[in-house]
Amino acid sequence: MGRLIEEIYVWRLPVRLYHWINAFSIVALVVTGLYIASPVINPPLGEAVWQHNFVMWRYVHYCVAFVFTGNFLYRMYYALLSDDRYAKFGGFRPWSPAWWGKPFREQVESYLFLRQDEPNYVGHNPVAALAHFIFIFCGSTFMILTGMAMYAENRPGSFMDAAFGWVLPLFGSSYNLHYAHHIAAWIFPFYVIVHLYAVFRHDIVDRTSVTSSIITGYKHKVEDEAAA
Amino acid sequence: MPTKQTFAEVFQSRGLSRRDFLKFCSLTSVSLGLAPSLVPKVVHAMETKPRTPVIWLHGLECTCCTESFIRSSHPIVGDMVMNMISLDYDDTLSAAAGHQLEEVRKKIMKEYNGQYILAVEGNVPTKDDGVYCMVGGDSFLNVLKETAAGAAAVIAWGACASFGCVQNADPNPTGAQPIDKIIKDKPIVKVPGCPPIAEVMTGVITHVHTFGKLPELDRMGRPKAFYSTRIHDKCYRRAFYDAGMFVRGFDEESTRKGWCLYKMGCKGPTTYNSCSKIQWNEGTSFPIGSGHPCIGCSEPGFWDKGPFYTRLADVSFLGTDTTADKIGMVAVGAAAAGAAAHAAVTAVKKKQHDKEQEQ
Ligand code: HEM
Ligand code: HEM
Ligand code: SF4
Ligand code: SF4
Repeated sequence: MGRLIEEIYVWRLPVRLYHWINAFSIVALVVTGLYIASPVINPPLGEAVWQHNFVMWRYVHYCVAFVFTGNFLYRMYYALLSDDRYAKFGGFRPWSPAWWGKPFREQVESYLFLRQDEPNYVGHNPVAALAHFIFIFCGSTFMILTGMAMYAENRPGSFMDAAFGWVLPLFGSSYNLHYAHHIAAWIFPFYVIVHLYAVFRHDIVDRTSVTSSIITGYKHKVEDEAAA
Repeated sequence: MPTKQTFAEVFQSRGLSRRDFLKFCSLTSVSLGLAPSLVPKVVHAMETKPRTPVIWLHGLECTCCTESFIRSSHPIVGDMVMNMISLDYDDTLSAAAGHQLEEVRKKIMKEYNGQYILAVEGNVPTKDDGVYCMVGGDSFLNVLKETAAGAAAVIAWGACASFGCVQNADPNPTGAQPIDKIIKDKPIVKVPGCPPIAEVMTGVITHVHTFGKLPELDRMGRPKAFYSTRIHDKCYRRAFYDAGMFVRGFDEESTRKGWCLYKMGCKGPTTYNSCSKIQWNEGTSFPIGSGHPCIGCSEPGFWDKGPFYTRLADVSFLGTDTTADKIGMVAVGAAAAGAAAHAAVTAVKKKQHDKEQEQ
């Protein structure tokens, strides 16, 4: 193991808090959501009026959904209005051809074993930024819009209906809306597997202690043994 | 028969009492969600306004809407309403037929230009110039366009006219299209259902007659009074749903006990209609009341969302029938397998790299 030569404070507390609230909400939402879709637990004994077995799953899904939404908006606010350069996604410019140029290509090549060295980034690497954008930014926005629209269905004429009711006709029918929310839920388990693998692998290959960085906030650079 | 008759006169000529007439007015007002103070307005309109002329066209359809309509909960209503229709033009219910009847349609269109209501049952095959539905020697496509030109408003009866229904099911060989795809310049009210509930149909007609305009519509163009809540919102089995007490097979004890049909594919949670409120056949029952899950017959696309007995439809994916969850699980499995393979290659490469360094 090389000597520890540098310590950089990358993820400030708001980002770390966001990350863990987000991670726990997503796990809870996927589990309760899939349970809502196919309730498997055996029915309770006794009179229906005294039981709330199924309605509790929905209740938890909605409570967590609002935490998740608030947390997401908070992260957007922090990205836009803070001066935290590692949180701003400032370098993320997928509309400019330059962004898809060298750094992105190098990172992809490295993932595809086409090059020996591993590019190193203090903040997000460009491939990670793209993945966060597609799965987390677009994915969360989609789940929030469809989720809120379904939530609004419970109360026609309410504030929620006025705010999100317009989403339903875009999908053609209530059923399609539920279906879209359901199938899109699967992107999250998919993302988590890829995300965790990428994090652990980077940690092992680059030894920048990226895994613990999302808890402590610090990334470390170690001296390369071969070069030492 | 005189065309300028009022509804009240129709009642009288049928030998029905004023009491029956008032009963009809107040019942209809209630189902329309009107305030009690508006009942006199309904009564007044029914007594004094000349009957609103209605032309009722039949396109590609099964006539279940008409069947439902003539079975309105109170025989007097069915009778009254049937009279009202046969007075004008309905190619299924009218006594007249052929050229004689087509004459009547032309006459109403001329006499009441811009005033009559066009009620359409069924939808419009558009492929090959509409030859797949011919009415009175012309394609239904032409008849519809021609008749709609002078209409004040259009009522789209049933799932067919509103959204397409089975004629429009994939792959839709005749190019059948709902009414709003053909007629763009008239106010349209959609009254979906396969068929719609009779009381909903008479309610819509009464509203148009009383107020001279279409009832308030929701985002999908349906009357709010009847389609603003889902079957599920007023279902009497809802307590079992909330409790997590689900029927898991039709041959189980739970079926006899009348538990919630969610796991049997009930589409009540995504279906906007009044079945759980008004019910069918004079309020006798409705599908869920008879132990069958709602199939969502008043929703767009229900005909392509099979099977009826699972909650989520099968989707065709790469030529096979599969479900959303299977696709999801395969994707997640692939991600895991990909990660494992990537890890293995990484390990091998690292070994190689280390070896090279040693040499
Ligand atoms: C449901 C589970 C998870 C989700 C949805 C998730 C999502 C995310 C997101 C959205 C970011 C970007 C943070 C930002 O800048 O806003 C991120 C970064 C990160 N996450 Fe997670 N995460 C999950 C679980 C974990 C776990 C269990 C670990 C490690 C023990 C972890 C480690 C990291 C690290 C190290 C980063 C920073 C690396 C980078 O973005 O380049 N994550 N994660
Ligand atoms: C990561 C985010 C989310 C995931 C993975 C997720 C997952 C799911 C799943 C799998 C279902 C079951 C769909 C079905 O009926 O087949 C569901 C239902 C639902 N979700 Fe979400 N959801 C998420 C976010 C949200 C949000 C932000 C809301 C907003 C309030 C929301 C509200 C709902 C509602 C109202 C239902 C319908 C429940 C019912 O049918 O009774 N969800 N969700
Ligand atoms: S039977 Fe259908 S409509 Fe009734 S509570 Fe169960 S899911 Fe809802
Ligand atoms: S319960 Fe559902 S399927 Fe049955 S008639 Fe009503 S809307 Fe149609």
